[in-house]
Formats: sequence, C-alpha cells, structure tokens
Amino acid sequence: MKIAVCIKRVPDSETRVKIAADGKSLDEAGVKFILNPYDEFAVEEALRQKEKAGAGEVVVIALGPPAAQETIRTALAMGADRGVLLQTQGLHADGLETARALAAELKDNEFDLILLGKMAIDDYNHQVGPMVAELLDLPCVTTVAHLEIAAGKATAEREIEGGVEVVEFSLPAVLTTDKGLNEPRYPALKGIMAAKKKPLEVKPTTPGPGALAIVSLTLPPERQAGKIVGEGSAAVAELVRLLREEAKVL
Amino acid sequence: MIPARYQPPLPLDRLLLPVGAPGAGDRMELDVLIVGAGPAGLACAIELAHLAQRDRTDVNIGVLEKAEALGEHSLSGAVVNPRAFRELFPDVKDADFPFRGPVERERVALLTARRAFTLPTPPTMHNAGNYVASLCEIVRWLGERATALGVNLFTGFPAASLLVNGRRVMGVRTTATGLDREGGRLSNYMAPNDLLAKVTALAEGTRGSLSQAWLDWQGVTSENPQIFALGVKEIWETKRPLDAIVHTLGWPIPTDAFGGSFMYPLEPKLVALGLVVGLDYRDAALDVHELLQRMKRHPLFRRHLEGGELVEWGAKTIPEGGYYAVPARRSGDGVVILGDSAGFVDVPSLKGIHYAMQSGMFAARAIYAGLRAGDASAAGLAEYDRLVNASFIMSDLYRTRNMRLAFKDGFYVGGVKAGLMTVTGGRFPGRKIAVEPDANVERTLTPGASPGITPDRRHTLSKVDGVFKSGNATRDTIPKHLVIGSDVPAAVAEFYAHMCPAGVYEVVQGALRVNAPNCVDCKATDVLGPRWTPREGGSGPKYKRM
Amino acid sequence: MSNVLAVLEQRDGALRKVSHEVVTGARRLADALSGNVDALILAAGPARGADQLGRFGADKVITLTNAAFGMYAPEGYAGAIAARVTGGGYGAVVFAASATGKDLAPRVAARLGRPLAQDITDLAVDGGAVTLTRPVYAGKALLRLRVVGTPAVISLRPNVFTPVERPKAGTQESAAVAGPAGRVVVKEIKAAEAGMLDVAEAPIVVSGGRGLKEPANFRVLEELAAAFAGRAAVGASRAVVDAGWRPHADQVGQTGKTVSPTLYVAVGISGAIQHLAGMRTSKVIVAINKDKDAPIFKVADYGIVGDLFEVVPKLTEEIKKLRG
Repeated sequence: MKIAVCIKRVPDSETRVKIAADGKSLDEAGVKFILNPYDEFAVEEALRQKEKAGAGEVVVIALGPPAAQETIRTALAMGADRGVLLQTQGLHADGLETARALAAELKDNEFDLILLGKMAIDDYNHQVGPMVAELLDLPCVTTVAHLEIAAGKATAEREIEGGVEVVEFSLPAVLTTDKGLNEPRYPALKGIMAAKKKPLEVKPTTPGPGALAIVSLTLPPERQAGKIVGEGSAAVAELVRLLREEAKVL
Repeated sequence: MIPARYQPPLPLDRLLLPVGAPGAGDRMELDVLIVGAGPAGLACAIELAHLAQRDRTDVNIGVLEKAEALGEHSLSGAVVNPRAFRELFPDVKDADFPFRGPVERERVALLTARRAFTLPTPPTMHNAGNYVASLCEIVRWLGERATALGVNLFTGFPAASLLVNGRRVMGVRTTATGLDREGGRLSNYMAPNDLLAKVTALAEGTRGSLSQAWLDWQGVTSENPQIFALGVKEIWETKRPLDAIVHTLGWPIPTDAFGGSFMYPLEPKLVALGLVVGLDYRDAALDVHELLQRMKRHPLFRRHLEGGELVEWGAKTIPEGGYYAVPARRSGDGVVILGDSAGFVDVPSLKGIHYAMQSGMFAARAIYAGLRAGDASAAGLAEYDRLVNASFIMSDLYRTRNMRLAFKDGFYVGGVKAGLMTVTGGRFPGRKIAVEPDANVERTLTPGASPGITPDRRHTLSKVDGVFKSGNATRDTIPKHLVIGSDVPAAVAEFYAHMCPAGVYEVVQGALRVNAPNCVDCKATDVLGPRWTPREGGSGPKYKRM
Repeated sequence: MSNVLAVLEQRDGALRKVSHEVVTGARRLADALSGNVDALILAAGPARGADQLGRFGADKVITLTNAAFGMYAPEGYAGAIAARVTGGGYGAVVFAASATGKDLAPRVAARLGRPLAQDITDLAVDGGAVTLTRPVYAGKALLRLRVVGTPAVISLRPNVFTPVERPKAGTQESAAVAGPAGRVVVKEIKAAEAGMLDVAEAPIVVSGGRGLKEPANFRVLEELAAAFAGRAAVGASRAVVDAGWRPHADQVGQTGKTVSPTLYVAVGISGAIQHLAGMRTSKVIVAINKDKDAPIFKVADYGIVGDLFEVVPKLTEEIKKLRG
C-alpha cells in the first residue's frame, strides 16, 4: 500500500495569540510549532494501513517554510518512510493554492491512499483535502472517524449533526482524518534515531497568489461583564431568550 | 517542626537499577549519553561534537530531555556572562548569540513596604559586559547547534534510573509513557527504554535525582551540605518600558530569611521579574509565590506592571551552597556530573549559566580523551574534576565561599559580614561557615502571621493561575510522581502548602491533599518535603521565554 | 448587480433548519450586491419546507432532483452545483458550515477554481468586493478577508446568522439532474448515541460540580445535554471527579480538559480558578448556582441564582421546546 500524508506545521494549540506589527498575521515570537494534531491521526492511520497491508510506503508531504523539516522529521520518527518539503515562504489565506501545490506533487505518484487532517488548527480552513481530491479527480471522504479497508473497497464513518454517516468508496482515494479515528503513537527513541537518516527531499515551491486578500487579523472583543438574569426557575425563559437573541448560541 | 523528620529517604531502589533489569522495551547503545538538555548538557554535547569533527572521528552522542520540547523546563533570571559562549563558539559574534541585549544600566535597591532606597551596587553584582537573556531561548539555540552537529536530541524522555554494574554507571532507563494512575497500561503505552553508553553525563539541573542517587550510592560528600533557594518568576508585557536591570533586597522578605528580587527587560516592554528566597527560612508559613504577588504591588514594580499583562509564570530552585557544597568529586566510573547538578552556582553574582556551560565543555574534553584512550573509568574521567578545579569556576566560587552562608544569621548581620568578605577578597572570617541541610532547619508555624492575599487576577494571581500560565497541561491520570512521607501532621501539610509555588499541596480538613499534575518540577518539594521522581515525558511546564 | 446562490440542506426529504440561516446570510449579501437570492435544494424529489423559503428572502427556489440525491452524494451534488453556478453567473455561493456543507463547499470551490472561506461569522460588501470574518487560532483571533474576483464561495458558521423574515417571491422551480451519484456513496445514517461527544469537542458543554450533591443527580445534566440533540456533552469539575462521581475523561479544568465550546453551562460549580482555567475561552458562559457570591458569576455572561434542581429541569424543558 502506497500512502501519502499531507501535513502542516502549525503553532501549538496553547499559543497565546499576539498580532504582528503588520496587523495581518501572528507574531511568531516565542511561539512553539508542532505537527498539526489532526495530521497526527492521518500519519498514524497511514502507518496502521501500511502495517496491515504488510508492505508499502508512507510518504509525508508538507508545504511550508524551511523549519517545516522538523515537522516532517516528527512524522518520520513516528514511522513514515520518507518526506517531501514543498518549501515556500509565508502561506496565504487561500486553501485552493495549497491544494494545487500539493496536488502537483501528488499527481504522478499513484498513491493508493492520500490522507490529510480534517483541518489545520491555525487557519481552520477545513478544505484542502477535498480540494486535492477534486484536482486529482479522486473519491474523497472527509472527517473520517472510523475506517475499514478490504480488497480495494472501503467503508468510512464520519460524524454529522446528530448521527454518523456510513460512507462507501473505492481506492485510490483522499481521506481527511478526525479525532477518534485512532490514538497516535509517540515517536519511539529508535524511531527518532532512524528519522534522521530517512530521505527528506526539499523542493522550492511558489504557490499562486490566491484570491483571498487578508484585510486584518484582530483579537476578538473582550468578554463583557456578565449579568445575573434572575433568581430561580422563573428566570429560565429570559435566559433562553438572551442566549438566542443576544448571545446567538441557540 | 523539623521538615527532615517527615521527609522520606531518596528512593534509591527506583533510582539505581542493575543493568539488564527486566522491564525495558528498546535498548540503545551510544558512546556518550547526556541526561538533560540544559546549558550544561548541550554545551557538553556541542564540545564533544566539535572535538570529534576536528579529529574526523565519529562519536555517537545522545541527549535525553524530560521536557516535551527544548527549553520548556528551563528557567533562569537571567543575566548571562558570555565567556563560555565565546569559548564554545569562537567564530560567532556576541551579537549573534541568543541574548536579548547587553546590560546598559543596573540598579540595586533596598525595599521597605512603600519605598525603595538605591544602594551602591555591590562589586559582586556588577554586570557590565553581561547580557540579559531567556534561558529557554538559549537552550533552543544551543539545541539547534547540537542537532546541526549530528547530536541526537531526545525530548520528552526523562531518565528514571541509573543503570549500574558494580561501581560503574552503564547508562539510564527512561520513564514509561502511557500509564494510568494505578500503573495500568493505556492504549498508547510505551515501555521504558534502556540507553547504554560508555560515559553518562548527568546534567539534570538543580536537585537532580540521578545525581543525588549516585553521590549517595558512592558516598561522595561535600564540606557543607548543598542548600537551595526557590525562585518564582513571571514575564510581563508592560505599558511602561524598563531600561535597566534592577535587583532588590529587603521587603517583602522577612529579615530572618535570605533572598532578593530581580527585574530585567527582555525587550523594553517585555519584563522578566522574580523573587528568590533561601529554603532555610524559619517561618513555616512563608510562601514565595505569595511574597512575589505582594511585592508586585510595591511602587517600584507597580509602575511598570500597571496596565500590563502577565504572559508567563514559572518556578525553580537554585543550588546556593557554593564552594563548600560542591561534591568532593563529580566524576566516577562511567559518569560525570555537570552544572547545577554539581552546584556550580555563584550566588553573590547571581550566575550559573556560564559555569554550567563551562563545566559541560570541560567534561566533554575529559570524556573525549577518555574515549580515545579507551578509559572511561573513574581514573580516566578524573581529568574533568582537575579541569574544573583549576578553572575560574572554582576560583570564582572560592572567592565568595562564605557570603551566602553568612546570611544564615539573618539579613543585617549577613549583609555586614558579606561586606567584610568583599573587602577582604573572601578571606573574612578565615574559616568555613558550617551549615545544615535546609530540611534540618527548625520551622515555626505562627497561625495568622502571614495573611494570604486575594489575587485580583490582573496584577496578582493565585498559584493555580500561575500553573496555568506555566503552560502545564499534564495529564490528570499519570501515576503519582511524588513520594510522600507517612503520617504528615496538619502543621507540616500546611508548611508544604505554603512551600510549593504550584499548589501541589493543599490542606483539606486537616489532611494533606496532593495535586501532583500541578507540579512544575521546581524541586522545592524534594529539598524540604515529599520526594520528586521523574514522571512521564512531556509532563510539567511548557516555558517559552523563561 | 449580481445574484447569490444559497445552497440548502435536506435530510430525509425535509429542509434542515440551518437552511433558513443560509438564506438569511445570502439575502444580506444579495441586498448589498443589489441582486437576487436563488435557493438551491438537492433532493430525490420535492423537499418539505421549500415553500417557506420566500419568507426568509429567497427570490427563487430551485430543486434539483436525482434518484441518488436523497442521501448526501458528494460528487453528484458538487457537479450539479458547479454546473448551476457556472451557468447562472452568480456573484456569490453560500453554504452552511455544517458537516455536509464543510465537505461540499471545498469540492464546489475547487471545481470552480475559486477560493473558499469556511465557517464565516460575518460578511459585508465593501466597494463591490465581498469581505468576510472568520475565527482562526481556535477563536483566539478574527481574520478578515476580501474576496478577489467572483464568485465568492463561503460557508456560514451555524447559529450565527439568525434567520430574519424578509418576504420575497420564493418562486418554485424544479429540474431533474442526470448522471450517476459518484464514487462516494452514503449508505446510511446511524443516529448518535447520547453522550458520545467529547467535552473537549462538543459545541455545548454542561458541567456539574459539588452542587449536584450526589452522583445520581448528574441525570438532570444528562437530560439537559440530551435536549441539545447530540451537540452537548456533560463535563465535571475536579471536585466531583476526585470524589469519584464522574470519570476523568469528563473533567474540565487546569488538570482536566481545556474546552472552548460555543456555550458552557456551569451548574453547581463555585468557579475555582483551576476550573476557570479550563473553560474561560468558552464563547458564552452560563452559571447556575445557589450562592450569589460564587466566583463563577464573575466570568459568566449570564447567571441564574437559584436551586439547580428547579432551574435545570426548567431549562431542559425550554430547550426542548426550542428544538421541537
């Protein structure tokens, strides 16, 4: 089984967001970068599918700055076989350009499976996987939380509002992974040692400019002082009204 | 109350294992294994790699680090003397070292509750030529250098036990990962790993568990026991810039305790500040975190912090015993001890980082020579001790050998004595001042003597808020890593609750409650109370600019 | 002047509620662009509720039918929508950022060769260009984007664009779409089991503390969570987890899970800092506590002082009414 996993280097989820001087981007001073957590599920699933098949290759591909090599090494330490860095400076807001750059790298390699996290925890774009599938004209299932593959025929489950969709598809295919699909392994010491010697190819890449211009990046308004709606069950109706009309969360 | 009475002994059965003991998963062999990716361990790794590169030989070097990522367990003031950097990287300009900026102005003040009196800067505290820095940033920078030189960095792997054979250290066993509270295996369980090496360098930092275990096992002693201080540190984004490094003495520390504060500009509007108190304090209700919170209300600090925002919080102990507390030898069969673990800290000048790095570099040279000669025995590695003894590390520590110890008699008497020591170049009082371990100092709990503060959560914060700001997100279900003495009376429990800056200990209905996941590995507990042992990799704080 | 296409969702032949939000958002855009709203439904046959869409501002309602469109058919849907957009010259295409919409919108955008802004919380037209706001970095920052060229393809975060009545003609139109459903086939929808959401991921978290008095009383919270129809999880404070009332997996707080749901309901929780650390980034916090001085009220957006055993069942009842 030949599997590609597209991964991304992202700021740690605990990052305290500070806006850079340009007013359009994150101030990266003191920010720790990690492998996007949803991509960890993708790497883990690729390794499991390869182990199950008994043979094959897991290739991790990242689009990002030179430092994304570290992110690729993390995936290699988990057990992926080789890495490709599509090296670029500064990612923009348009996920379609990311998908195009990835698809160009993926298209001639005849992968049985292409895995991506359902979204990156920095831009929350939530779109690159299915776009890659469209560009490559491959079947695609997103936010997969359960997967079974047997003889080229596959079944996936994905959470939808109030239920779970059971989806059938054929390989080759593109899947995006959700929490619950598996429990990603920690890199083992031997894996970390081995990762240093695994091939990592760096290819300079210049994605197109995209068609989404960033106007601004701002901090959300601060929480306003709360109010006591009332006392006892008599206040419930008013609370529900406020949640619906003022807070707009119902 | 004497804390030592309630303190369990070092758990040597866990910290020392015969090599080949069952229970390990992977086994890996290296030439040199370094425990701890701090300034000492990384300088050692880099110097070793430099030597190997020079001679075109291959030395397989591994560094184990318990933090999930480099620097996340590193905390210091810090004002750094660059001399070890210059020696380790002769081709790098000062401006390219990972420092925030040179010290341009400095000020020492004596505080009262409302006022600050500028003091003449004591000669030991002059910092001209030194640099303000974040130890986290230094460690990350050193880590990049080490990686580029081919050093294997294993972050997230704490060393749990020394593996020994006869008198010889053979390597270490790491902690297991993925255990539940009762020690059961979770789905992502990973067995401990055994790492075997010709030489193991212990660079665990302050109060290293394996270093203590080895010294204890080998019966290596020092003229005085090691003593410690606890520092609690915060980083603030401020509205008003700070243009000098500031040290203070006096308030809010009681006069029968030793300590002081610091405030350094990392950037004009990014300020590191902290309070350090010797753990030989007498008042059992003394609480360093609370004292720091109180201190921030003083006009000297408030001026800068008002309207600002706290961005990080952390805590760490500092070995303060100085010259007389350095172990008689820091090398043995297959092992050397570096940096803070060996006590290379000069309290009067508030310096340790360059001593740590320099000790790592000396160790590297001794280890490399030993490897080439095929002799990693105690005799072969004794060269490390000779290099340290003949260097500025020990001569600096010797010059100030009694200064910290003088403060055992309280702030004012200590201040006068320290002044005499400075004038006489360390010769006063002409003999070693003897001290006892911190845990042997009698404590008195005076109910109501230290009123707590109610954090306003803008300028002052609670311990749990602090733990949150340390980045600590330790899994709640890991096995307990603190070894508690049996039958801890309520008064002792209260002493622990005040002592621990991270709120690990609480008194609930007269009984001790232990919130082990809060622990930020400052090690104060190991000095005065329950023993700290290594836990699952990646646990603890995630410091970024400490 | 350009028209806006609102792509709606049906399940079992009935329009989903979020469709009204999509029409409302599309109407706002269309008004700013001086265009019309075409509402698009993909289904196996006529969809129930299509006749209501005029009320919310749809000028025209187009139902595209195909025997395979009863269930979500990703490739079939995407092909039909893309063809419609290309043929109709729309200035914007609006989806719901629901599970289906987030899957479908990228496919359509890729087919159109257009960028996609998912999960937006605000929109405007500025100098003829569509500008959008979307939360990034787990809601810790807001990104404003301007779409260059047309059409703008966007999906709207659910529960943000509250449906507004804006009566329009709502002319009904229907067309059969030929062709296969595609290579990805939804075989069935398994209804969710109650309580299967993780507190860290649930959009709504209902948490209980010592005020619940005993473990069995968590039933009142489970009933409240159930009223949110699969969107809510039950959390717990450290005190009750330590007491063994609830599993560790449910613990919210410094040493438990950090959650950022849209709605956090703290019931019988005093609000120890350790707890606040785990939920302070929630979008809206509701506190129910009998102690009016409980610190939880300092961080709550809305508080009710009272006996939780009276307040919570009443709240459950009201939520059920709303959902019904």
